Amino acid sequence: MRKIWVVIRREFLEKVRTKWFIISTVLGPTLMLGFIAVSIMMAEGGVAQRRIAVVDVGSGGLGEQLWRVVSAPEQWEVRLMEYEPAALERVTDSLTRAVGLEELDGYLVVTDDAIESGTLEYRGSNVSSLTDMEVLQRLLQQGLMIARLDRVGVDPRLVSEAQLPVRMRTVSIRDGRETEESAESVFLLAYVMWIVLYIAILLYGLQVMGSVVEEKTTRVVEVLISSLKPFQLLAGKVLGVGAVGLFQMLVWGVAGWFIVMRRDVILEQFGVDAGAAQAIPMPEVSGATVAIFLTYFVLGYFLYAAMFAAVAAMSNSEAEARQAQTPVVMLFVIPSILMLGILQQPGGGMAVAFSLIPFTAPIAMPVRWAGAAVPIHEVVASIAFLAIALWAVTWVAGRIYRVGILMYGKRPGIRELLHWVRQ
Amino acid sequence: MPNDAVVDIDCITKRFAGHTAVRELTLKVERGAVYGLLGPNGAGKTTTIRMIMNIIVPDAGSVRLFGLSRTGRDLSERIGYLPEERGLYRKMKVMDLLVFLAETKGVGHAKAKHDAQAWLDRLGLSDWAQQKVDQLSKGMQQKVQFISTLLHGPELLILDEPFSGFDPVNTQLMKDVVLELARGGTTVLFSTHIMEQAEKLCDSVCIIARGEKVLDGPLAEVKRTHGGKHVIVAVEQGMASVDRVFRDSSLVAAADNYGQYAELELAEGADPQRVLELVLGAGARVTRFEIAEPTLNKIFIDIVGPEAATARAEGESADA
Repeated sequence: MRKIWVVIRREFLEKVRTKWFIISTVLGPTLMLGFIAVSIMMAEGGVAQRRIAVVDVGSGGLGEQLWRVVSAPEQWEVRLMEYEPAALERVTDSLTRAVGLEELDGYLVVTDDAIESGTLEYRGSNVSSLTDMEVLQRLLQQGLMIARLDRVGVDPRLVSEAQLPVRMRTVSIRDGRETEESAESVFLLAYVMWIVLYIAILLYGLQVMGSVVEEKTTRVVEVLISSLKPFQLLAGKVLGVGAVGLFQMLVWGVAGWFIVMRRDVILEQFGVDAGAAQAIPMPEVSGATVAIFLTYFVLGYFLYAAMFAAVAAMSNSEAEARQAQTPVVMLFVIPSILMLGILQQPGGGMAVAFSLIPFTAPIAMPVRWAGAAVPIHEVVASIAFLAIALWAVTWVAGRIYRVGILMYGKRPGIRELLHWVRQ
Repeated sequence: MPNDAVVDIDCITKRFAGHTAVRELTLKVERGAVYGLLGPNGAGKTTTIRMIMNIIVPDAGSVRLFGLSRTGRDLSERIGYLPEERGLYRKMKVMDLLVFLAETKGVGHAKAKHDAQAWLDRLGLSDWAQQKVDQLSKGMQQKVQFISTLLHGPELLILDEPFSGFDPVNTQLMKDVVLELARGGTTVLFSTHIMEQAEKLCDSVCIIARGEKVLDGPLAEVKRTHGGKHVIVAVEQGMASVDRVFRDSSLVAAADNYGQYAELELAEGADPQRVLELVLGAGARVTRFEIAEPTLNKIFIDIVGPEAATARAEGESADA
């Protein structure tokens, strides 16, 4: 036990001292802060400053009605221009030049038959901006509807009233109780869990692989194995790297909690209004959620670390290990990508299946848990399956590791591997 | 009589896919001995040492260390092991590395640190203690590796090809340290394929070839019982002038003519004086005439044949 501790301590201290660790630890909270700041700015300032002309070449009236509606966004400066239909070509020529000189962002051509056909033409330098086009489309739809209703004698004020937007408050129900979580915050939590677990399990699993390959290529392993059992060395390494992962998450967690708590003060530095910062939907993270997250991180990391260690043990070099890792990486990455679907439907059949399969459960279950209520017996079953798989995988990987670390030369085939395992 | 063998190998065999690396090998290393395990590349030396260290397990036979039934790994605090393939963590600081390796052998942190500093001072590396291993020259890395073998004060040193890969200065340094430790009572078992080195250092040897023991015993005894009477002759005009004498099979059983001198193995019952007479009779001026013990190299070649002594045995890659 003392010897395992010695290995854990070396692995931990050496990894924590690397530039890679320091940079990624600092970068995590910084990126989180940036992410929040950018998403607020996008939500706030999604509509950019624009100068737009509404050119009415019809009999009049429609252009003005549309102009009034399109002028709604504060950021848009909209001019109304009325011309005879015959002047259309001349006017568009000069407006196109104005767009070219950046005096104008674009112009909308309104003809009389627009009210029947619903066809309008917008020409501008900002047509590739999805936000602009979406806003414009929505406003024009609204404008045309008002114009059409007006034509059949409906009072425009009545129309405005009828169009008052609906605001739906969403309340998440979990274990039969209402929570303060909104739909956005639930999604946010599930999404963050997905990202962090995906990155952490893969990254730290690969760290174990790198560490095993290093010991093999530098041949240190022979000295180590003369005083440590292969199992002690492997266990110490996996635990040591895992401790680095947990330590990094602790730093991220504390920093994240601090950022969330003081987001108004911090975001003010980015020029974000304090009120807007407070209004960001923040997920409610319960103790149970943290426990689920950590449990699955640890089990999932052990599972993949064992496999990566076996892959490293049968390789002679870093390059060879990178090739040999592909099946393990695929086993992890492909379901993880598919699992993005779980974010949309945390209670769906795929979510349930993935959260029970040991190789996908480490990500699927926490994501499901964050997104919806999960029956407790499913959690228990999922952890049990994962534990059994972990035991079996570790047993096989340990045997491959034990033989592999002292083997140099040709990489073993399946038949040879089976022989190693049975030895 | 209590068995005072520090290493007691009884009839061990190890097979790898396709070939037998070690076959029914038995040897004993007495306490305090400097014991040479000799043989050409691929003879099974490294495999034998790995079995002593319990890095690999013999298919048959047993290894006992210090008269105990515990494995080399369990006894690692009493054994210093220098593998044939040298290697250190490149990114670790020298001091941290030495302390870590000592700790894996059960030495306490503080003691390991203190002793590491003492050894670094002694080998002139104290300025490098806080440098990373990959910033050290090759020779310094060799010293660090050597220190890591000795740091925990082992009773038994197992050195696999200790003189290969070390530069001449470090080789000399290492010999001095090893001999000093041996005088202090440390048992040393080392393997080498260079017979001349073994001859200078060992008091007992075991020669193996193709995985099997060829002979073993105290060096003096081995020399007495093997190889018969040897004569070394050198003459002024060059050896060609006396070549005829060496071909006299009633006198000379075998001759190794090295050009500058020749080593002769005399035939049964032949008198060395008669050889001298004939050489002088051939008109040569003798500069050296010595009735000598056979060199270990000569004994080895005589017993296993020149092919075995030089040719690399099959399957060496698995053994290396």
